[in-house]
Amino acid sequence: MAGGCPRHFTNSQQEGRENLLFLQQLINGLQLGSIYALIALGYTMVYGIVRLINFAHGDIYMIGAYTGYMIATRLNWPFLPCLFAAMVFCAVLGMTIEKIAYRPLRSAPRIATLTTAIGVSLLLQNLVRYFIGPNYIPFPELFKRQSYVIYSAGSGLGLRTLTVSNIQIIVLVTALTLMFLLQFIVRKTKTGKAMRAVSFDKDAARLMGIDVDRIITITFAIGSSLAGAAGVLVGIAYPRIDPGMGVLAGLKAFVAAVLGGVGIIPGAMFGGLVMGSAETMVLAYGKSTYRDAIAFTILILILLFKPAGLFGKSVSEKV
Amino acid sequence: MKNVSIRIMALCLVLALIVSLVGCTKAPVQTTVKEIVIGVVAPMTGDVATFGKSTRQGVELAVKQINDKGGINGSTVVIKAEDDKNDPVEAANAALKLISKDKVIGIVGSVASKCTLAAAPIAQSNKIPLISGTSTNEKVTQVGDFIFRACFIDPFQGLVMAKFASENLKKTTAAVLFDIDNDYTKGLAEQFKLNFEKMGGKVLAYETYGKGDQDFNAQLTKIKSFGPEILFLPDYYNTVGLIAKQARAQGIKAIFLGGDGWDSEDLVKIGGDAIEGGYFSNHYSPDSTSPEAVSFRSAYEAAFKATPDALAALAYDAANILMEGIKQAKTTDGTAVRNAMAGLKNFKAVSGNVSFDSNRNPIKGAVILKVQGGKQVFEAVINP
Amino acid sequence: MSLLDVNQVSMHFGGIKAVTDFDLHLVPGELVGLIGPNGAGKTTVFNVITGVYQPTCGAVVLNSGDLSGKKPCRITQAGIARTFQNIRLFGSLSVLDNVKIAYHFHATHGVLASVLHGSKHFAGEEIITKKALELLDIFGLTPRKEEKARNLPYGEQRRLEIARALAARPQLLLLDEPAAGMNTNESRDLVRLIDWIHHEFGLTILLIEHHMDVVMSICRRIVVLDYGRIIAQGTPDEIRANPKVIEAYLGEEVSS
Repeated sequence: MAGGCPRHFTNSQQEGRENLLFLQQLINGLQLGSIYALIALGYTMVYGIVRLINFAHGDIYMIGAYTGYMIATRLNWPFLPCLFAAMVFCAVLGMTIEKIAYRPLRSAPRIATLTTAIGVSLLLQNLVRYFIGPNYIPFPELFKRQSYVIYSAGSGLGLRTLTVSNIQIIVLVTALTLMFLLQFIVRKTKTGKAMRAVSFDKDAARLMGIDVDRIITITFAIGSSLAGAAGVLVGIAYPRIDPGMGVLAGLKAFVAAVLGGVGIIPGAMFGGLVMGSAETMVLAYGKSTYRDAIAFTILILILLFKPAGLFGKSVSEKV
Repeated sequence: MKNVSIRIMALCLVLALIVSLVGCTKAPVQTTVKEIVIGVVAPMTGDVATFGKSTRQGVELAVKQINDKGGINGSTVVIKAEDDKNDPVEAANAALKLISKDKVIGIVGSVASKCTLAAAPIAQSNKIPLISGTSTNEKVTQVGDFIFRACFIDPFQGLVMAKFASENLKKTTAAVLFDIDNDYTKGLAEQFKLNFEKMGGKVLAYETYGKGDQDFNAQLTKIKSFGPEILFLPDYYNTVGLIAKQARAQGIKAIFLGGDGWDSEDLVKIGGDAIEGGYFSNHYSPDSTSPEAVSFRSAYEAAFKATPDALAALAYDAANILMEGIKQAKTTDGTAVRNAMAGLKNFKAVSGNVSFDSNRNPIKGAVILKVQGGKQVFEAVINP
Repeated sequence: MSLLDVNQVSMHFGGIKAVTDFDLHLVPGELVGLIGPNGAGKTTVFNVITGVYQPTCGAVVLNSGDLSGKKPCRITQAGIARTFQNIRLFGSLSVLDNVKIAYHFHATHGVLASVLHGSKHFAGEEIITKKALELLDIFGLTPRKEEKARNLPYGEQRRLEIARALAARPQLLLLDEPAAGMNTNESRDLVRLIDWIHHEFGLTILLIEHHMDVVMSICRRIVVLDYGRIIAQGTPDEIRANPKVIEAYLGEEVSS
């Protein structure tokens, strides 16, 4: 007969491993979440400024991955220049799209701009299908995968170690660096302040000497460059890219943006990280078939109970 | 009143007779055509496009060799190929087009079971024999008696890998990670679990993911906590490559096993070092030493400047089985061709000698290949 | 030589003629009042001058430079700043940032320089912050500098709007009902403030106001608008005595 004492002991040991398992899953979730967050930031910035849900944003992320792929395979550039080039390319792409597709519709009904955004999304996907090919392609290995044990809990059954891979560190560090850089730009620079002013009252901003068109262009550039960065990071973390990869990722990032409160930058970061963790936890403790369902469950719950998002204040929309 | 209706019935009967006579007089015209058209349904684009390419090249080689020898009973064989994009709807459309527009006598294809399952009912209802090179799902030939395949079936691959894990590798614990949305990976996973446990092994974790997923860290962390010796990954190459990388990054040391979905050069491109040392079952190895296999390989290499993979070999076999049926039937009538195909005994094919069981599944052995130094190396043969 | 010339400007919205044949010439240093009953077209005049509306015909000329077709932000940069009838501060930004934003187009450091070249960024920001704080001091808003603009009491929001407009360093300042919603004491303070900045900054000011005491006490010249047309202009005393003005304001308080 096993006494109470040993049983207690095994229970607490079991509990410790459960905690370890949970922590490891949280690390997994943060990796995924930081990518969602980077995409969500672009959604939120653009929405904040022009009240447009830029459905082509997920495809800019896809283009970012392909740019990274092209540069890494053709020019053999290492990670950082590769990341930077993809960001610059996507920034230019974002500005071009804004100029050609959205600016002429600035005063058109919102449904027209939304339809255009969907059109741009399909165009980008099919351009890549046409010029590069419709198939999955392997993303080159920019880093040799390595894993580090950051915590070890002796021997026995169950998860005994907490492991972090260099890829996870790179993804997380890059994403966080970019987010803080963005936060610096928005909070501290004159352009950032102008963005916030434009987002608050376009006409007043104009009359304070702010070139609203230029600010909108810069916003698209910054948002798109973040999506481009996310594209390269996803190529490193999950080295398989295809022209349709932006659709679901874009949708989930959109949900993340709504979760945090559309137009609110820290909200998008938080929303992305929550989405990634929620998905991972569903996989860890539930069924894989609910993976995509969780994103849309979150969306419905937020829309029902806190439509302004977790970071948003419920104010009636300014017209 | 009664009289009138009898007269109308009689008239109808006469008309029907005339129509059938016209039909009869037309039939011999068909048998004397100089061209025999066979259809190919394969994914030329989409997520498994390399499968489609191999399949097409296999069929092309078989047809070319027949035509070089004077065709079938004096008629030249012509190929009509359709792209199904690895999409069941496209596959069904492709089959319908081949049958109604191109008037094919038989169809080779498709690659994935889900596509063949969509195309098969159309071939069946039109009484056109369809033979898939590689659709391993059990249900494919259950669609009807006109549906054949040149490969063994899913349960067999699950069993082969279970047998290999427990008898050759002498392992007792395993985990399974598979795509719940895909009948192919699901079938392999189920049979592996069933047979591995039957042979005394333990399946510690049985995890799933969805179509298009790229992040498997959550499931892998769970699997890692059980510390299995074997990780069975019965998916296609592009997903297996991703999983393998993430698993090794997490520090999972288990040996990776899988099915013929691994068979692509891209497996190593995506999986890199992580996939090294993995084993998978297949229908064919280019290193096979049978005379048919050796001559097939040299002809294929001469024609396409590439080493044939199993898909090419099986498509080659499937096309040859279909053409042998047409040859033996001495007619292009679907039913006669079907009967001839079903009656084949020990047909000398590249992937082994083929006889069909009552479900039109071939009875033959499987090879185990190892991923070593970025290449596929012949490891063993497992017999049922 | 005049600072601002509004030449024969008409502004029509479809069939509605908001402003017709509007002429206005301001010499540097003038403080002119623009009055008229509700809906007379006063704010439309402001919107035409600042480029929010492109006039149907006529032209606006600042310092001999034609402003037609220029974006509002360029017009602001050319030297015209304004406040709004209904306060339009950037509510989610701090009081200080509201003022700094209007200064910014004078700054030399761009966004890339800010990110890549920290010292230049901080030096540039420091100058702007210093200037913004000087302005806030004048308007007695320094203690409130870190608060969000939307949390300020009404009177302070009015003052902040003027401070923000001044931060754009205009030659011409357009004030759209700065005393709206203020009590007598507050508006008296405001009159003093406007008078002071008028002299201190050497500004030319065009003022829309309903509080007649405000207009009469600080403007040397008054233009009266009714149904989009100028019906009178002159000194406060002339305007007070003008029968057309009295008629236009019939039922409204003219002299209170």
